[in-house]
Amino acid sequence: MSERPEHKPALAGKATTEGSGIRLEPLPEGHLLHVMGAFDGDTLAESLTAAGLAKSAIQRAGYQQWYVTGDEILPPAQIALLADHLRGKGFVCDQSHGRIRIALSGFRALELLSQGTAVDLDPAAFPVGHSAVTLFGHISVQLTRTHATRFEFAALRSFAENLYDMLEHAALASA
Amino acid sequence: MASLISCPHCGVRPREEFTIRGDASLTRPAADAGGDAWYEYIYLRDNPRGRHKEYWHHSSGCRRWLIVERDTVTHAVHTVCDAALAKLGGAA
Ligand SMILES: [Zn+2]
Repeated sequence: MSERPEHKPALAGKATTEGSGIRLEPLPEGHLLHVMGAFDGDTLAESLTAAGLAKSAIQRAGYQQWYVTGDEILPPAQIALLADHLRGKGFVCDQSHGRIRIALSGFRALELLSQGTAVDLDPAAFPVGHSAVTLFGHISVQLTRTHATRFEFAALRSFAENLYDMLEHAALASA
Repeated sequence: MASLISCPHCGVRPREEFTIRGDASLTRPAADAGGDAWYEYIYLRDNPRGRHKEYWHHSSGCRRWLIVERDTVTHAVHTVCDAALAKLGGAA
């Protein structure tokens, strides 16, 4: 028997929930890298391409901070490669184990989100690709618009189940 | 109390996302300044009427410290800036 802890997905027991105009799904625990540095998003995108991570999404997570996310599990060597490209300018901290992503989509997604967050989600203020660190209820989340009617949450692992239950409850209540 | 704060990094957010530390005009005494100076710095506060600068932490947003200038009578927020950048002489 191995004495090392075994990785168990935080939302392993959760099924995708579908209601009328709403779809809630746990996303794969692929990668989520916290990047900090005194550069802009374009510089980060170039470094990602150089490190073979062009497909990963970039989400702004505050002043000079970003999350780099995707569905694939990254080998440590690839994360080290990105860190090499940013050396002297910024830092990479692997948070794949620490933050869990959840997707919410459908034409009623906006209505459900407005029950939990005060961020202005009007497409003019919160276009596709836009991201914000905010509260959903009492849980701190990173909220990103990935399509016109599709959003992604990233929340701390220990809050993920609670957040999912809250979203599921709201999704079924509005169905 | 102001209910909306315009964070220079995040935009307009409700005050539930922030933690208030208080008076931004206080200067930390020197380590050997003596008991009276430290007592005053830590415990004694004015209760100003009108414009007032305070430290606010955007704890559930960008996690930056801000300096919010607000009016304690009208609740109007006059200016908000990033505390660290202001100290470095930047704008933001
Ligand atoms: Zn902020």
